[in-house]
Amino acid sequence: MTREMLRVGPGTANRDVLGAALERRYSAGFVTDIETDSLPPGLDEEVVRAISARKGEPAWMTDWRLAAYRHWRTMTSPDWAKLDIAPIDFQAISYYAAPRQGPKSLAEVDPKLLETYEKLGVPLHERARLAGVAVDAVFDSVSVGTTFRKELAEAGVIFCSMSEAIREYPELVRQYLGSVVPAGDNFFAALNSAVFSDGSFVFIPRGVRCPMELSTYFRINAGHTGQFERTLIIAEDDSQVSYLEGCTAPMRDENQLHAAVVELVALARASIKYSTVQNWYPGDENGVGGIYNFVTKRGDCRGDDSRISWTQVETGSAITWKYPSCVLRGDRSSGEFHSVALTHHRQQADTGTKMIHIGRDTKSKIISKGISAGRGQNSYRGLVKIERTAAGARNHTQCDSLLIGKRCGAHTFPYIEVRNPGAIVEHEATTSKISDDQLFYCRSRGISEEDAVSMIVDGFCRQVFRELPMEFAIEAKKLLEVSLEGAIG
Amino acid sequence: MSNAFAAAVGDAAGATLSRLPGAGVAWLDAARHAHLSAFLRDGLPSTRSEAWKYTSLRALEQRAFALGDVDAATRSVETRMLALSGVDGPQLVFVNGMFRADLSRLDDLPAGLQLQSLAAALILDADSLREAFGTATTDAFDRLNATLAGDGVVLRVMPGVRIAAPVRLVFLGAPAAVDLAWHARALIVLGEGSELVLVEQHGDAGAHAHLGTLVSDIRLQRGARLHWNVLQEAGPGAVLIRRSAFRLATDAVATLHALELGGALVRHAITAVLEGDRARFITRGVFAPGGRQHLETRLDIRHEARDTASDALWRGVANDRGRGVLHGAITVAAGADGSDARLDNKNLLLSAQAEIDTQPVLEIHADAVKAGHGATVGQLDERVLFYLRSRGLPLEQARALLTSAFCRVALDRLDPAPLREHFAARLARHLPRLAGDSEA
Repeated sequence: MTREMLRVGPGTANRDVLGAALERRYSAGFVTDIETDSLPPGLDEEVVRAISARKGEPAWMTDWRLAAYRHWRTMTSPDWAKLDIAPIDFQAISYYAAPRQGPKSLAEVDPKLLETYEKLGVPLHERARLAGVAVDAVFDSVSVGTTFRKELAEAGVIFCSMSEAIREYPELVRQYLGSVVPAGDNFFAALNSAVFSDGSFVFIPRGVRCPMELSTYFRINAGHTGQFERTLIIAEDDSQVSYLEGCTAPMRDENQLHAAVVELVALARASIKYSTVQNWYPGDENGVGGIYNFVTKRGDCRGDDSRISWTQVETGSAITWKYPSCVLRGDRSSGEFHSVALTHHRQQADTGTKMIHIGRDTKSKIISKGISAGRGQNSYRGLVKIERTAAGARNHTQCDSLLIGKRCGAHTFPYIEVRNPGAIVEHEATTSKISDDQLFYCRSRGISEEDAVSMIVDGFCRQVFRELPMEFAIEAKKLLEVSLEGAIG
Repeated sequence: MSNAFAAAVGDAAGATLSRLPGAGVAWLDAARHAHLSAFLRDGLPSTRSEAWKYTSLRALEQRAFALGDVDAATRSVETRMLALSGVDGPQLVFVNGMFRADLSRLDDLPAGLQLQSLAAALILDADSLREAFGTATTDAFDRLNATLAGDGVVLRVMPGVRIAAPVRLVFLGAPAAVDLAWHARALIVLGEGSELVLVEQHGDAGAHAHLGTLVSDIRLQRGARLHWNVLQEAGPGAVLIRRSAFRLATDAVATLHALELGGALVRHAITAVLEGDRARFITRGVFAPGGRQHLETRLDIRHEARDTASDALWRGVANDRGRGVLHGAITVAAGADGSDARLDNKNLLLSAQAEIDTQPVLEIHADAVKAGHGATVGQLDERVLFYLRSRGLPLEQARALLTSAFCRVALDRLDPAPLREHFAARLARHLPRLAGDSEA
């Protein structure tokens, strides 16, 4: 149980104006003071069983979790990423936290929770309707309210929490869960499979175009809790869905672990667009605190002519380790990855994508924009793999890095593996900084240095922002501006 | 030991070490034994190791090689096949890793050039080589080489001296009754303001299976210029693992041209550390695996000083079941402002069973830099092929012409001209075979 209010401070004023502006305000840094029902820290088979029991899961689910847990115990934490991570004590984490009052509908939701979302600007409740967004808000581990259920149900779309899906649609969950990211896929995916507490489930039936954009807001709240959500989106033949995910977490001194798994399945001619704005707490300017964001996201273009598109704007987290990927199995299927990753202060990001071309005439496009400021370290790591079967496959990758300041780093680690002589793969990467000339030009036109930086960064990221739904694009642009204030100097 | 390769090293090492040149020199014995025990402890790397991700040594692990060739001094070999017309400077020839004075040309060395075999240098003055042998390493083949290399080259160019005629280092393999392993080392120092053209050649007098390792330690002092040209035409049974480590002081310029054409399993790791301001490193080359060849080139270029420049341009052509691997890493250290780094790797994949893996890496820790890389994998342009055929060129010839033009850019800046022509001819001779074998 956590009872604590955290203070948000703009930080002490710095000596020079630019330095002061550089002090970053984390406006989502507050803790909601509600009672939570948590398991004590530590992880063993009993904890896995307890999580499963609390959620009233069927035996097959419990067994699935246990198998994942046993596999996880045989694995070691990966060390290949260019990240400086203090060893994580997995026994010091509490693997389950749920709001104690079990809300049954939005009206019953603890007003403090709603207040939390309000501060974050989540368009829940009436605002959701106005914004035309259906929100499945995940608060810590349990989904507390889902809006627009009825409207979606009329279209035949299932949009609910994962726990509910396990109860209500066990045959669908059983068929697809772990089919894209197997329980033992990697260290963090295995951990997630064992202890995941909730997440979103989306099912778009054959021929349905989802009538609205679906959105989930994740938030880590209670201290000492990791968040392990699991999202599964299935788009049947000829269906279409756009899914938005936003993440924030309160300020805390200790590092918190977030190990999520997202699985997308696109059947024939289906299209899934998955957008993320990730703004978990990045830690302070000295690298104290912040979220460890270790996420496995993978989409499977299982059907011919299917399409999966990932767009991400990563401005938060102390450490980001994530590679939203596409397995292009169906003929003529296509995968896209559009990313802006920003690291400031002591943030580290090792992120990118994997495009695995298996089907004929498959296409993929990768656009990655990395921005490093302060002492931030930003790595793009991407794999483009053309299997022997992927005749006519095409890939184009553009990886650009922007350096702001002398102590940051920008790195590019592409892996290109081609086994089909009919494929064409192109990779380009550049690294540059905001030049004095550019700044001088803007300033001579009466634009302040801050505005000039913001303008240049905006231009640098435009290709990616264009892919975001409008309200997210505005949020993303604002986030970058806030994050980079005064980074030049 | 769990595998035949390491077991053979472990069994023979004791006897071999005691008869290697330099044996009995206390510091050298200690270094060799330390490297040996490290090698025996860790063995060969697996593909789980990031640096060996694309090159599997599992087949090699199951093979045992005899250490050194006791008959190397007397084997008769045909050196004519490696002759370079118009290039007749000093040369050192090694047969199965051992220096052969009878095949070499060391008389009338130009003034200011010191050139001798490593074996001779170890016997005469081992202590002067101490620094080069003392290098710590975690690479299995570096360790093996540091343990077992008894011969090789020691070359010094005195400050201010410009050597006009290219110096040739020729490594030849000759069949023996057993599968042999040889390990050679080259220590090269270019004094301040000096200049040298060097040709490194690899060839074999047969298709016999053997393993060779060559570690070259190359230092360029202030303002020195080195033109290093590698023609690798090892035989079809050769496993050849090389490391060329360059260190460049202020204003030094090294240019490396390499044709990686032969061998069964070949890996060439090139490291270049730009230690002094305005140092420049240029590398250009072609790797062209066919058959079941596996050719890997690794570049590790480190900008550690201001206004340093590097330019890498590599072309890969893979055919049959050949596999070409290029790892091109550029690191710009903090403070290396004004660095300008470029890497360009284009590849042609000519058959359904061939594979190209390319990994251009940038690690940038400074902001006032220009750094970029580009990599592509594709095939010959059908429209251009069609155009050439419409002009009456047979398909095979059209393909050969285009493939050769694709690679030729890597040799455009090779100096001197006769050498460039020779390299181009060797490449042209290799490529039609490649292109001609491919399925339509």
